[in-house]
Amino acid sequence: MSLPVPPPTPAIRIDGLDFAYGQGPARYKVLFDVALDIPPGQLAVLTGPSGSGKTTLLTLIGGLRSLQKGRIEVLGRDLSGLSARELVPVRRDIGFIFQMHNLFDSLTASENVRMALELGSGSRDENRHAAHEMLKELGLGNRVGAKPRMLSGGQRQRVAIARALANRPRLILADEPTAALDKESTRKVVTLFKRMTVETGAAVLMVTHDHRIIELADRLIHMVDGRIASDVMLDNESRLGEFLKSVEPFSALNLADLTRIAETATLRHFEPGEVIIRAGDAGDELFLISEGEVEVMRDDHEVARLGPAEFFGEVSVISGEPRNATVIATEPVDAYVVEKDELDAAMQHSTRFRQQLRRFFNRRR
Amino acid sequence: MTALTLPRRGLARLRPARVPLAWRNLVADKWRLARASAGIAFAVLLMLVQLGFEQSFFTASLAAVEQLNGDLVVQNASKYRFGTRNPFAPKDFETIKTVAGIATAAPLYADWVDFFWTSPVDNKPHLVRVFAVDPDAPAVFSIPGIADQQTRLKTDDSVLIDSESRRFLGMNRNVTEAKLNGVSVHVAGKFSLGPDFMSDGTVVMSDRTFAYFFRTTPAAMPIEAAVIRLQPNQNAAEVQKRLTAALPGTLKVFTKAELVQFESNFQAKLSSAAPIFWLGALVGFVVGTLISYQIMYTELSDRMPQYATLKGIGYENGYLAGSVLRQSLLTGIAGYVPAWLLCLAVYRVVGHIALLPLHMTWRVTLLSLALTLGMCLLAGMIALRRVIAADPAEIF
Repeated sequence: MSLPVPPPTPAIRIDGLDFAYGQGPARYKVLFDVALDIPPGQLAVLTGPSGSGKTTLLTLIGGLRSLQKGRIEVLGRDLSGLSARELVPVRRDIGFIFQMHNLFDSLTASENVRMALELGSGSRDENRHAAHEMLKELGLGNRVGAKPRMLSGGQRQRVAIARALANRPRLILADEPTAALDKESTRKVVTLFKRMTVETGAAVLMVTHDHRIIELADRLIHMVDGRIASDVMLDNESRLGEFLKSVEPFSALNLADLTRIAETATLRHFEPGEVIIRAGDAGDELFLISEGEVEVMRDDHEVARLGPAEFFGEVSVISGEPRNATVIATEPVDAYVVEKDELDAAMQHSTRFRQQLRRFFNRRR
Repeated sequence: MTALTLPRRGLARLRPARVPLAWRNLVADKWRLARASAGIAFAVLLMLVQLGFEQSFFTASLAAVEQLNGDLVVQNASKYRFGTRNPFAPKDFETIKTVAGIATAAPLYADWVDFFWTSPVDNKPHLVRVFAVDPDAPAVFSIPGIADQQTRLKTDDSVLIDSESRRFLGMNRNVTEAKLNGVSVHVAGKFSLGPDFMSDGTVVMSDRTFAYFFRTTPAAMPIEAAVIRLQPNQNAAEVQKRLTAALPGTLKVFTKAELVQFESNFQAKLSSAAPIFWLGALVGFVVGTLISYQIMYTELSDRMPQYATLKGIGYENGYLAGSVLRQSLLTGIAGYVPAWLLCLAVYRVVGHIALLPLHMTWRVTLLSLALTLGMCLLAGMIALRRVIAADPAEIF
């Protein structure tokens, strides 16, 4: 018999947290009895309408405000009762990504990142090396000596992200980190977040509405009016379920059918140039694009390009005829594959789904 | 291999261990730096000129005393400054000569209020300072042009004039005959001493000529000061004691150094000149502090989100304060250096026009540097409150 392994110290543990701004009659409460545990290695996304208390919660966890009522433990350290001054060292273990990049225009990209590294104990050369490595990972390896003025908005935001992550913090707090980023940058950043949760066991708590991040999140916390309204763990099936709800014909399905499709669908990866389906082949699979772009060819002519949340292949599945077009990946593509049997079952259960899918079928035939 | 790695390690030590934020912020914007530098330089120049004037005032006021050519000087104990007429009786001078240990004693006669030099420039009489010496006694002044030409004064009505006197006196001109209190005098030579803030020009004559103006004889003339040289291996303090004992209490015996100190005490503490210059320097200091504050305020306002971010990621107020103050001091130095260089030219031009001994000295350099750094530090500390008050929670 082995001894029971004690559960790891949560990266964040919040209990009975209340917070109010102002005093006297002007006082208004923004957080009500919030309780939340986030274990190491979890990528948690915080959503909610503006004014729901997301940012206040983030600043309290980050030690940027003193607590009023309730308890927050960050990386095993109790923040309650700490003065503004005592909160300063707590922040050093946290990677902050702010909405504004706030880089010093007088410093190069590398120096801006090193400002964060110099809070640690590394030597100058170690810090320089670490800064360059981190910038390289974010695709800025050739821009280390550039001042912010010479960088694009997305590049600046990536420097700010490098500054937050360079210390390899065990907790990362971020507020809309990908708002200023293009598709390619976002992919790099999200991959890096995901890798840090896996490799260094870092916990990430992020305010975002970017579905590219939500798709990769382990957990989705929704806040309304200063309270946690829902808190969902996202495994692969439920993530696909969430995704399907946002795709037009599938949104007509009830929860049971969605869940069954999600459970049986498989995620497949295609390299750029790879043929996903070929005209004339028999086909009994529907493809739903999660990431990337494909081109649809008929008689050697491109007739359409499809991207995330769009699907193809339903024509053969419904009619039983051979494929009427060739579909080729133009970039790395992740697509969910839904089998004919599951699709047929869903069409039998939901008239609306059948009708909507038929409309696509008729249009594309 | 070793030969290659060693110098590299040496160079690495020269590079700063941390990101030099203060320096980077200072030089980030060349135009802003130029404006800041010019603003500070203006205030520094103001202070340098005032301090220079103050110093030249002292130098000029002490010039005559410092050139007295002796070990001990005797003058009336009731004199509050050198440049005022308060002579002692000739019989006391005779007493001085009898005291043991003295090699020579030379009388100095002087007057600051009775002599008018008719200027060849405007043909009008101007008040001048007059020193009279015994041409046969050892030289009273070590001023070049007096010591080596005093025998020329043996001819009656001969004078030596100061070619560095103020220009309106015309003593820099090629004059041989002139008028002093309406009496024709012969200019036997020139020396170079320069005016101070009380006298515009100086005339040196013999005791006989001087006595003539007062309708008396040299033997009966009261003496302004006795300039004494000691025999070799004599202790000045000992002789000073013996002299004090031999002379009546109305006379005071100074060593040369004591006399210079006595005179500079008067100028510094009793005259109104020193406070005027210090007030001028203070105005420069206040103006400089305001300019410096304005510079730092703008600087900090522009970088507020950045400083707040640094606080947000865990920097202490102490680090930020250090960086801001360092930048403020660097701005001060950026203004000081050009002002110091410019001031060399200003001293040269103003000194030439105003006949002031305006020279850049270590004293003025270090004093003005300390004031500059002080005003930048003060301004930095006032501006700093903004950074201390910055709320990192505001930037999320």
